[in-house]
Amino acid sequence: MSVIDTPAQGSSTPERPRAFLRPDGKEKVTGLGRYTADLTFTGQLHAAFRYADHPHARIVSIDTSRAKALPGVFAVVTHEDVPDVRYGGMTQDRRLFAKEKVLWEGDVVAGVAARTVEIAREAAALVEVEYEVLSAQPDYVANMAPDAPVLHEGWAEYGADENLVRDGNVMSRYVIAKGDADAAMAGADVVVKSHYVSDASQGVPIEPRALVAQWTGDSVTVWSSTQVPFAARSGVAHTLQIPESKVRIVVPLLGGGFGSKCDFHFEAHVAILAKVTRRPVRLVFTRKEEFVAPDHRREGMDIELETGVTRDGRIVARRGRMVLDKGAYTGEGGFFAQMAAMHACGPYKLDTVRVEAFLNYSTNQPAASIRAPTAPQACWALEQHLDEVAAAIGMDPVELRRRTLVAEGDEGPAGQVFEKIGAKETLEAALELIGYDAYLRGELPDDEAVGVACGWWPCFGVPSGAYVKLNGDGTATIVTGAQENGSGSVMGLPILAAEILGMSPSDFSINYQDTDAGPWDMGSSGSQTTFNNGRAVVEAAQEVRAKLLAMGAEKLEADVADLELADGAVRVKGAPETSVTIADLAGTGEPILGKGSGEVPEAAASDASACVGSLGMESFLAPQLITHAARVKVDRDTGVVRVLDFAAAHDSGVIVNKVGADGQVYGGVMMGIGQALTEATWTDEEGRQKNPGLLDYKLQTASDGPRIQIRWIEIETPNAGPKGSKGVGEPPSVPTSGAVGNAIAKVIGRHVDKLPMTAERVWLAANSPAGEDQ
Amino acid sequence: MAVDITLSVNGVPYPLTVDPHASLLHTVRGDVGLTGSKEGCDDSECGACMMLVDGRPVNSCSYLAVQADGSDVTTVEGLSDGETLAPLQEAFLTRGGVQCGFCTPGMLVSATALLDRSPNPSEDEIRTAVSGNLCRCTGYDGIVKAIAAVAAERAAQG
Repeated sequence: MSVIDTPAQGSSTPERPRAFLRPDGKEKVTGLGRYTADLTFTGQLHAAFRYADHPHARIVSIDTSRAKALPGVFAVVTHEDVPDVRYGGMTQDRRLFAKEKVLWEGDVVAGVAARTVEIAREAAALVEVEYEVLSAQPDYVANMAPDAPVLHEGWAEYGADENLVRDGNVMSRYVIAKGDADAAMAGADVVVKSHYVSDASQGVPIEPRALVAQWTGDSVTVWSSTQVPFAARSGVAHTLQIPESKVRIVVPLLGGGFGSKCDFHFEAHVAILAKVTRRPVRLVFTRKEEFVAPDHRREGMDIELETGVTRDGRIVARRGRMVLDKGAYTGEGGFFAQMAAMHACGPYKLDTVRVEAFLNYSTNQPAASIRAPTAPQACWALEQHLDEVAAAIGMDPVELRRRTLVAEGDEGPAGQVFEKIGAKETLEAALELIGYDAYLRGELPDDEAVGVACGWWPCFGVPSGAYVKLNGDGTATIVTGAQENGSGSVMGLPILAAEILGMSPSDFSINYQDTDAGPWDMGSSGSQTTFNNGRAVVEAAQEVRAKLLAMGAEKLEADVADLELADGAVRVKGAPETSVTIADLAGTGEPILGKGSGEVPEAAASDASACVGSLGMESFLAPQLITHAARVKVDRDTGVVRVLDFAAAHDSGVIVNKVGADGQVYGGVMMGIGQALTEATWTDEEGRQKNPGLLDYKLQTASDGPRIQIRWIEIETPNAGPKGSKGVGEPPSVPTSGAVGNAIAKVIGRHVDKLPMTAERVWLAANSPAGEDQ
Repeated sequence: MAVDITLSVNGVPYPLTVDPHASLLHTVRGDVGLTGSKEGCDDSECGACMMLVDGRPVNSCSYLAVQADGSDVTTVEGLSDGETLAPLQEAFLTRGGVQCGFCTPGMLVSATALLDRSPNPSEDEIRTAVSGNLCRCTGYDGIVKAIAAVAAERAAQG
């Protein structure tokens, strides 16, 4: 194990040299880089959507004649203009354009292409839709009642993953179980029950999404600000019923995603408009649309937790009931019930478990992956709950975690036996960085406190592919299907290839985010680009290496075993003057190519026999462990909370690109603090968003930022990614709000039970008697 | 009714005919053809569209092109010649101040304006100066460090 510290702002410790600059950096700082909305095409038209006029209504008729008659309008399309197919991840429950019903305010009823954006929007408003208005059903908990009207009347006929346990408005029910939790709970020394509720929140990339579609013959190219170009390609092919070979998705620079640009979204809508008009069609979202229209937000969640402990801090039973708001459609979030349940268990030793999670339909905006989906809210609830448990047995909450965090050889919630894992090390590191001992000694003012929270997140082992090809001058090009969302993970791939080939990272160009070029890749989701595509690049580079060594052996009349690759040449070990440059070998015109995918690592065995609705996530592959500690100041008169100091200790395995990894933590922690304190999508009684803008949906600004200290616990994890790396991108948002919540509770004497913990909620919690509603 | 104006953008005069309601942002991105400045909200909330108008930082999405008639406008493209990077541009890259890059142009413009008026800013001043520029990727850390580093280098050079 090794440890890397990152000096905090204002620290006098010299920084590590940062030798590797991201290849896309120059175009980004000069303003010359092109994002999708920066593209223009000769003859292009502009698209606008007509969204649902009610969150829940039956469509009686759609009349587009007035819209079509508006001068400057080239096309108005509805469900009648596209194949009648449904799409969706684990459940195919949505159409491109609403046909029988609208199920949320962002459902698309019609699309318009016109000469200008203004004309397109005016025409969209002229589409006449007759509805039979139905009651909105935004209450996702109430929707599972037996007498609640079923939102998707045809749910049983939908195509769906056979492992999902579905029933009407319950899109997925999952139970994780180990041992007899009921009996163990009955025998516990102390039992603590908690109830926490999290509002929905948003990814909020600073770039609103943009798309341009253009057809050439029977083929369409869609330039799209997507995190998942191959999923977008499949979506276009499926919904328009054309082969994937006729669909090319190209992603110009992507202005952030945080999950919200995962999944197939609007590529086919724009493609059909371009097809009908025989013109390039461009769609650029307004900020309001970016909030309201994507079927993608962080899910609201209702969390009941119950823990039975012995007086010396052994957790003998964990029970839980979680209800998640799926919203109107599944999208790619079908696995959320299972993932939420895993986070209600957390990286702790639990003798017995029974957590039941429901993923319910509602007439709200659909929820899908936002940075570590389900984890921040579940972790916020669990970590506050654990502090309540510690208080109930009179133990310091950190001590309870010391006794219960998993270590090598311990068992996960469904029998996974952990290999080397850095959970406890992250805890001690975060405590040291935040100065927990000083806090325990009472050295902080009485309006300040330190809160601690731990969390985890899996690596996702999936297939991925890359090619490496040498150029005639001894440089190389990586052709990859991976997608760069800004994190730098694709930009860091040359580091891996360069080491294998004895070249410099700056010798590599990268061809990426073009579905006609690179092999299939899952996209920038699941913190898995380095983990999986890195593995592919390594294998591709190894193939090139083998070819170079064989060619060098022939040229130098030496044995391959005596050769090495260094400084851009094949040379004899110990006699570097006997060498041939890669340029000489590659310059002959004979192609020197490598391809790779690598062997996908598998998670440890677990026992899901007692689980219901398993999707195979009971065992976390190469788990990433996190401890966050926050020092906060609470103004008891106003409820305003300020995070003053923050420590983030992470086991993400070996860190390949420290600039990039640090950046993920700084950004993830700030996102986490926003979700802890200010970020929520507020809705009216029918589920319509009340704050779809950056004035009222409050992100953290530079002025809000605390000092953030980072420590990397570099555990040599078995079954990890290249060089022993694990994921990095999602964990930094996982325990953040839990740490902040626990700190707030220590100041005001009570846990805030709603997320975000706004000033109003903190004040109410501080000023309502214990046992009464906050 | 269209209006004839002249914008000087990054030192180049552009005689333009614009709608009276056209924003400076749309005019520069569309008519002038410089797309470095971004539209993130069209509501002065995100700062991705920040430009200097006669040296003063403005949210160009909420500033009319006709208001800038006769003014000197500086965009991110005007901060360097595109080959040799300005010290702030370089520092943003070396200090981890750039991830997705969408906020970067506006951030660089705000930072330039800060260092022009306050060559030796405190960390608080830096954070306040870019508090109108939202970044979702970096947590602002690399950005603040980059601006501080450039200020320190300038101070060291006298």
